[in-house]
Amino acid sequence: MDELILELKNEIIETLNLEDMQPDDIDTDAPLFGEGLGLDSIDALELIVLMEKNYGIKLRDASKGKEIFKSVRVMADYIEKNRTK
Amino acid sequence: MKVIFKIADNIVSPLGFTTAENFSAVMSGRSAIRRYEDKWDIPDPFMASLIDRDALDHECGSLPLMQHYTCFEKMILLSVSKALENSGVQPDSDRVLFIVSTTKGNVDLLYENKFNLPSDRILCGVTARVICDYFHNPNPPIVVSNACISGVCAQIAAMRNLFGGRYDYVIVTGADCQSRFIVTGFQSLKALSPDLCRPFDKDRKGLNLGDAAATIIYSVKDEYEMEPDDWVAVDGSIRNDANHISGPSRSGEGSYRTLVNVLHDTNPDDIAFVNVHGTATVYNDEMESIALYRAGLQAVPVNGLKGYYGHTMGAAGVIETILSMCAVDNNVILATRGYETCGVSYPLSLSNEIRHTDKRSFIKLLSGFGGCNAAILFKKGGAL
Amino acid sequence: MIKSWVKITDKSVTLNGQMMDFPSYGNALLTEIYRSKVKDYPKFFKMDALCKLGFLGSELVIQDENTNRFVPREDRAVILFNRSGSLNADVNFQATLQPDDFFPSPALFVYTLPNIITGEIAIRNKYLGETSFYVLEKKDSETIASQIVASFQDNITKSVIGGWVDCVDENNFEAVMFLCYRDEENKLHEEIKNILSK
Repeated sequence: MDELILELKNEIIETLNLEDMQPDDIDTDAPLFGEGLGLDSIDALELIVLMEKNYGIKLRDASKGKEIFKSVRVMADYIEKNRTK
Repeated sequence: MKVIFKIADNIVSPLGFTTAENFSAVMSGRSAIRRYEDKWDIPDPFMASLIDRDALDHECGSLPLMQHYTCFEKMILLSVSKALENSGVQPDSDRVLFIVSTTKGNVDLLYENKFNLPSDRILCGVTARVICDYFHNPNPPIVVSNACISGVCAQIAAMRNLFGGRYDYVIVTGADCQSRFIVTGFQSLKALSPDLCRPFDKDRKGLNLGDAAATIIYSVKDEYEMEPDDWVAVDGSIRNDANHISGPSRSGEGSYRTLVNVLHDTNPDDIAFVNVHGTATVYNDEMESIALYRAGLQAVPVNGLKGYYGHTMGAAGVIETILSMCAVDNNVILATRGYETCGVSYPLSLSNEIRHTDKRSFIKLLSGFGGCNAAILFKKGGAL
Repeated sequence: MIKSWVKITDKSVTLNGQMMDFPSYGNALLTEIYRSKVKDYPKFFKMDALCKLGFLGSELVIQDENTNRFVPREDRAVILFNRSGSLNADVNFQATLQPDDFFPSPALFVYTLPNIITGEIAIRNKYLGETSFYVLEKKDSETIASQIVASFQDNITKSVIGGWVDCVDENNFEAVMFLCYRDEENKLHEEIKNILSK
């Protein structure tokens, strides 16, 4: 699980162009959206693409992202349970 | 005082190749939006209003096409040619300026260039030159690329250039041709409705896309020469929300300011209607309702035409202006197709039926990506 | 009246005619300008190359103005021109549409409109005025000057961040941007043409 969390943090930094950020700068249990990382609605859509591309998880309903992107840990948990690659 | 007035117009869309055909289709409640599956190698089905390419080619048979043109270019050539018929305007004159409004032009050439057109044909300025060359127009054309508000901005640019005195006529033509690029892009933004779009409705789920080209030819004259039936573009305004590049402002800041600016000293009671953007995305329609309310226009009838054509992008501002002019000419406020139950915070005077009006002016309002918003106030000569 | 102007190419940066000292080239040059002159706007790294270029051009001329920034204002417009439209972003988005590797990227798609740069500048500076983008066949200084001068027909507009901002790809670009004010003596047209020829 810790491995997946680190992998996810690296992917988030790369995909969302969070230049100057290190995996350690992202709190595993803090909300991904709202305060902190300064992410917006386009970032949320890009994370949905990331889930499909890297883990084969297709989210039909964009609003479901809200629950999954609560934190990196929640996201990793969801991926672990639903991944197809 | 000089005034900018309309000489001629045309609409080329799936609902017809003339303004009259289009107006009559909209009056009878027809929509060209339908469902497409496995189109353009796009995995997910989508709803759109697309021109039948064979019908377009057939209609273009009347034009002297000496070389290959893309679908986008043919739509423009056809629309401008039809607008020019009987207009008395000589497009080859150096007193005529072409302004093209488009968002994606020939972008489909990135995917498929069947006829080996030069690679720079993907650039909108080059495309516009090709169009000017067809009409033997010697002036450098201007392409307005302001996302979804381009069609209104192009008309504002026409007003400015005519007031400037360098030109006697400006041919404003707005067009976009749907493609794999555009449809998949909007799918990636989760902005497309799986059903017919429902502007301002509580069950709205997003927009539909559409193909169209539309043309208005403007000229300038002294106010005392004005005829009662002349359509005059009175004032235009372009403002930014300064909020987000893809999400509309929550306070409707930019749209609100454009409305206030064009209204100026016009009494809202004299406005027949505001023809809004009304894409049927959750955020756009909500934003527009806030802007209209803040501008004191909540009692003025409002309508949106995306239920007939979908969102025709670069063409939208031009088509919707022409149809609004036709509506006032016929003493009607066109129906907002797809609307049933109010789904915005500030209720507006909307209807899915045709309403009567005796008033002779209207506002065309648009908003778009990049946080931009634009409006123009139009009045019939007698109402000025 | 032109207050300040900047020219940024993939090889050099000139502010008000003075060459600025940046050793990098191409895309790295843009990052270097950001790190040395802006620093505090991480959204920069999310932008496509056209927006990075236009954003930095606007930062340099606005910083040079040396007045109170980030106060909402409606009297300033952003009016830009180019030849390539959003070509670089278009190519990058198209690359996510390969039939055997089909993952359309929303973050790339939003930059496939050239006027996004005018929005980025408006957001950064809280400019509520006009934002317009025009695509021309070539860098035609007569057309650019006449459209910017004509934009002052809007009675509220008192100043314009204007100019040319063209990006063929990440390492091949040119911007000539300026801050100009409404002038009553009709000199602006010639001033703009003059700056664009530099």
